[in-house]
Amino acid sequence: MFHAVSEWLSGGVNLLLCMVVLPALFGVVLWMCKKSHFLQTLLVLLSSLLNTLFAFVLYGMDDFVFNIPLTTFGFAYSFRIDAFASLFLAFTAGMFVLISLYTVVNLKKQSYNGLYLLYLYISLGMINGALMADHLGILLFFWEGLLCTLFGMLLIGNRDHPKAAMKALTISGLADLLLMLGILLTVLSAGTGNMSEIHALSLSGNHIVGFVCILLGALAKGGCMPFHSWIPQAAEDAPTAFLVGFPGAMEKILGIYLATRIVTELFVFEHGTAMSIAMMILGTLTIVLAVAMALIQKDMKKLLAYHAISQLGYMVLGIGTGLPVGIMGGLFHMMNNVIYKSGLFMIAGSIEKQTGTTDLKQLKGLGKKMPVTAACFLVFTFSIAGFPGFNGFFSKELVFDAALESHVIFYIGALLGAFMTALSFLKMGRSLFFGAYQVPEGTPPLRETKAGMLIPMSILAVFCMIFGLGNTLPLDTLLAPATGIQASFSGWPHSVLLVVISLFVLLLALLDHLYGSKKDGSPLHAADHIRHAPVLKHIYDAVEKGWLDPYHWLMAAMGGFSDVCVQVEKGIGFVYDKAVPRTVKRAGLALQRLSDGRLSHYLYLAVGGMLCIALLFWLL
Amino acid sequence: MNGWILILGILVPLLGACLLPLLGKIHEKLRDITAFLLIVAAFVCAAFALFGVFSKTPVSIRFALPLGLSFGFKGDALSVFMALTATFVSAIIVLYSFGYMKHYKNQNEYYMMVCLFVGAMMGLVYSTNLIAIYTFWEISSLCCWRLIGFYREDITVQKANKAFLVTVLGALIMLVGFMGIYGQTGTFELSAMQGVHIPAWTVVMILFGILSKSATFPLHNWLPDAGVAPSPVTSLLHAAVLVKIGVFAYTRLFVLTFDIHASFGSAVPTIAAVSALISAGVAFRQNDIKRVVAYSTISQLAFILLGLSCQNEIGLVGGLLYILAHSVAKGGLFLCAGIVEHALHTKDIRKMGGLAKTMPVTAIAFMLCAFSVMGIPPFSGFFAKYLVIEGILASDNVVLGILFIVGAVMTIMYLMRLFVKVFLGPPAEDAPPVKEGTPVMVISVLILGLASLLLGMIMFLPSQLATMVGGVL
Repeated sequence: MFHAVSEWLSGGVNLLLCMVVLPALFGVVLWMCKKSHFLQTLLVLLSSLLNTLFAFVLYGMDDFVFNIPLTTFGFAYSFRIDAFASLFLAFTAGMFVLISLYTVVNLKKQSYNGLYLLYLYISLGMINGALMADHLGILLFFWEGLLCTLFGMLLIGNRDHPKAAMKALTISGLADLLLMLGILLTVLSAGTGNMSEIHALSLSGNHIVGFVCILLGALAKGGCMPFHSWIPQAAEDAPTAFLVGFPGAMEKILGIYLATRIVTELFVFEHGTAMSIAMMILGTLTIVLAVAMALIQKDMKKLLAYHAISQLGYMVLGIGTGLPVGIMGGLFHMMNNVIYKSGLFMIAGSIEKQTGTTDLKQLKGLGKKMPVTAACFLVFTFSIAGFPGFNGFFSKELVFDAALESHVIFYIGALLGAFMTALSFLKMGRSLFFGAYQVPEGTPPLRETKAGMLIPMSILAVFCMIFGLGNTLPLDTLLAPATGIQASFSGWPHSVLLVVISLFVLLLALLDHLYGSKKDGSPLHAADHIRHAPVLKHIYDAVEKGWLDPYHWLMAAMGGFSDVCVQVEKGIGFVYDKAVPRTVKRAGLALQRLSDGRLSHYLYLAVGGMLCIALLFWLL
Repeated sequence: MNGWILILGILVPLLGACLLPLLGKIHEKLRDITAFLLIVAAFVCAAFALFGVFSKTPVSIRFALPLGLSFGFKGDALSVFMALTATFVSAIIVLYSFGYMKHYKNQNEYYMMVCLFVGAMMGLVYSTNLIAIYTFWEISSLCCWRLIGFYREDITVQKANKAFLVTVLGALIMLVGFMGIYGQTGTFELSAMQGVHIPAWTVVMILFGILSKSATFPLHNWLPDAGVAPSPVTSLLHAAVLVKIGVFAYTRLFVLTFDIHASFGSAVPTIAAVSALISAGVAFRQNDIKRVVAYSTISQLAFILLGLSCQNEIGLVGGLLYILAHSVAKGGLFLCAGIVEHALHTKDIRKMGGLAKTMPVTAIAFMLCAFSVMGIPPFSGFFAKYLVIEGILASDNVVLGILFIVGAVMTIMYLMRLFVKVFLGPPAEDAPPVKEGTPVMVISVLILGLASLLLGMIMFLPSQLATMVGGVL
C-alpha cells in the first residue's frame, strides 16, 4: 500500500493533474457539507495539506514538461515543472493551508460559507494550473478563469452592492485582455507558445508591445496602478476572508510569478533600458500614491487594501531594476508581503468578527482584551514598516539598494513610501490597540480571537521573524536555486549607510506621528495635518471624489464613445426609417404621374427599363 | 450511409412544418412535441453525416436537371458543423417555446414557421449550388418576416417589413453577383468553381447579401428592431439561425470556394471592426434588455466575420468556434431576457433590479452565457475569441487586433452593466412581485448556460471538426 502510494506520488504527471482537478472536487464536497462546520474544517485541513504534500513532492522533483494529448487548435495543453514554478507552487500551497483554515472558521455561521469555499478551491485549482502552465495560452486560460471566481466571491452575500464586483470584473477583464494581446503577439513572434521554448526575445518591434501587454496583465493581477481601484472598493463590500486570500496573497503570487518569468526568461530585459526605467517609474508611483491614500483612511480594511497596492510597488521597483539584487529583493518582498499582509487582513477579519466593524473611529484600546492578536499585529507592523530584524526590513533594504543603484529618485520614492507606511501603521496600531477601551454600542463582551483564526495568524507572525533573522532560508535556500541567481544576498544588509537612512526615516515617521497626534488630539488623526496640507488637500479631495480613479476615466471614455455611436446609429436609423421610405414614396408618386395615359411618357418608361436591362447584361 | 440522410435532414423539418397546423387543430401538445422532434431529427441526420466527415468520405447526393443543370447536397465539415450548431440551439429554443408561447394566438403558424426556418437553414448549409443557396436563403427571409411580425400589431408588422426588405434587397443584389459568376464560369455548381478567381464587383454584390443577413454595419439596422418579436423568435433569428446564414455563406463562398482579391482580406476585417465597435458603443447606452443583446449580436458577429475573413487557418477555426459559442450563449441570453420580460411585462432595465433573488436560476444561466460572450475561460467563448484575435494578428494586422481587444473590453462593460441592472442591486421602485419562469423555460436556459461552460471544457471536440474545415486552406 505504502509502496503504491509512494510510486504514485513519484509520478509528477499524476500530481500535476491532481493539483488542478482535486481542488475543484474538494470545493464541491465542501459546498455540499455546508451545514457541518466540523466536517468542513476537517476537509479543509485534509485537502489543503494534501495539496501542500503534492506541491512539496513536485518541489523535490527534477524539471519536466508534460503534454496532455488533447488539442484545441492553437493550444497545446502543456505543463512544466521547474525550480521557479515549483517554489511558487509550494509557497502558494503553504499559504493556502493557513488561509483556508482561517476562512472556514471566519465564515462559520455565514449562509454563504459553502459557496465561498467552492469558489476558493476552484481558484486554487486555477492558480495551480497557471503556475504549472507551459503554454502561454493555457496560462491565460487559468489566469483569466479566475475572473469568474473573483466575481462570485465579491458578490457573495452582497448582491445589493455589486459595485466592487462590477469594477473588479471590468478592470481585471481589461487587464486580462491586454495579457491576451501580449501573449498572442509573443506566441506569433516566437513561433511557439511554450515558455520552455521561448528564450530572451529582444525588446524590439512587436516584441515591445507583447512585453508591455504581458507585463501590464501580470502587474494588474497583483493590483498595480492603474489597475488597482477595485481593491479598496472590495475592502468595503467583500467578505474579509476574500481580502486575506486574494489581494493579500494569491494575486500577488501570480502577478509577480509572471512578471519575473517574462523579465528574467522570455525577454531580454536589461538594467538601464527604457523598459526597465518605465517599470521602475510604475513601481515607485504605485508605492507612493497608494500609501498616500492609505495614510488618510479611517477604516482598517480600506487602509490595508491601499497598503496591499503600495507594497506591490516595491516588488515592481525591485524586479524592474533588472539587477540581481533587485529581482531577489522583489521576490523576497513578495513572499514577505504575502505573509504579513495576509496576517494583517486576518486581524482585520477577527476584529470585525468580534466587534462587527473595522471602523477605526469606533474601536480603541483592544490590546488588553485581545493580547495575542495585538502581539501578532505588532509583529506584522514591524515587518511591513521595515523595522530591523523583521522580514520586511531585509527585503526592503534589497529593493532600496537596487533602486539607489538605478537612480536616486527611485530610492527617494521608496523611502517616502516607507515613511508613510510607518506613519499609517503607527496611526492604526496606536488607535486600535492602545488607549481607553472603546467598541460600538451593543457589542458583546470582547474576547480573544477564536483559536481557528488565531493559529494561522500566529504562524504567519512566527514566519515574519524566521524570514527576518533567518533570511538565509528564503534567500539562499529557496530563491537562489529557483532564480538561478548565484550571488548571495542573505544576512545583514551590506550597506550600513542605507540601514542608517532607513532607521532615520522610521524615526522621522515616529516624530511626525507624535506631532500629528498632539496637534489633532488623537493618534487616529495623526496624519490629518498631511491630509489638510496646502496643495495636498486639493489632490486628496479630487481623489476622494473619484476624479483620479482610472476606472471612472474608463467609464467616462466608454460613455463618450457610446454617445457618438448612438448619434451615428440615429443617423443610420434615419436613413432606414425616414429617408429611404420617403424616397421610395416620392419615386412612386413620380412614376404615378408618368402613368397619365400619354404615349410619350410610356415610351420614356419603356426605354428607361430597357436601358436598365441592357446595363445588367453588360455587367454580366 | 448515403446522401439521402441529408435530404432527410432538410425535408423532415421542411415538410413536417406543413403538418404542424393540422396537428395543432387535433392537439396542441402533440404539435409542440412534433415540432421539437422534427428539429431533433434534423440534428440526428447531421450527427449521422458527421461520421462521413470523420471517415473522410463526406456524404453527398446530386440530381441532374434538364438543360445540363443540376443541384446537390453535401455533408462536408462546414455544413455538418453549421447544421449541428443550428439544430442544437433551435431544439432548445423550441423546448423553451412550450412555456413561453402557450398563452399566445397563432401558435400553429409559429411552430410551422420555426420548423420551416430550420429546414431552410439545413437546405442552405448542405446545398452545393448557388441557386439552391439563394432559394433557401429567401425561404428563411419569408419565415423571418412572419415570425418578427408575429404579434400582428402595426409596429411589429412595420419592423418585420423592414427586416424583410433589407434582407431581401441584400439577397437580390447578391443574386446579381451570382449571375455575374455564372456569366464567367457557366455554372452554378460550387464544386466546379473551386479556386476560380471572381471579379471584385461580384464579391461586393454578394457581400451586400451576406452583410445584410448577418447584420453588419451599416446593413444591421433591422436587427435591433426585430426585438419586437417574441423572445424565442429573436433568439432563433439573432443567435441560432438567421444571422449565421451570412457568415456561413461568407465561409462557403469566399473562404472555401472562390479566389477573391487580396484587398478584401483587409477591407472586410475593417468593416467588421467598425461594426464591432459602433454596435458595442450603442449597446452600452441602451435601456431595452433585448436591444442591448441585439446590439451585442451585431458586435459579436463582427468578431466572427473577422475570424473568417483574415485569410488564415487560425482565424477560420476561431471564427467557426465563435459561431458555435455565440449561438449557444447568445441564444441563452435572449431566452433569459424573455423570462424576465415575461415576468415583469417590460423590457426597460431601469425598471428592473435585484432579480437574482427571485429568479436565481435565470440569473445564473444569464451569467454563464454572458461569461461565454465576454470570452472568459473556461467558457467556450474564450477559445473562440483567442483564436480570432490570433488570426488577425497572424495576418500582420496589429491595429485591427488592438481594436478588437477594445471591442472585447466593451463587451465586458455592456454585459456587466446589463447583468447588474437586471439581476443585482435593489429592486426598482414599483416593480411587481415576480417569480421564476416556468420549469421548461428555466431548464432550457440552464441547458444553454451549462452548454456554454461544458463546450469550453471539451473544446477539443468541436475544434477537431472546425480544424477539418480550416485544413483546406
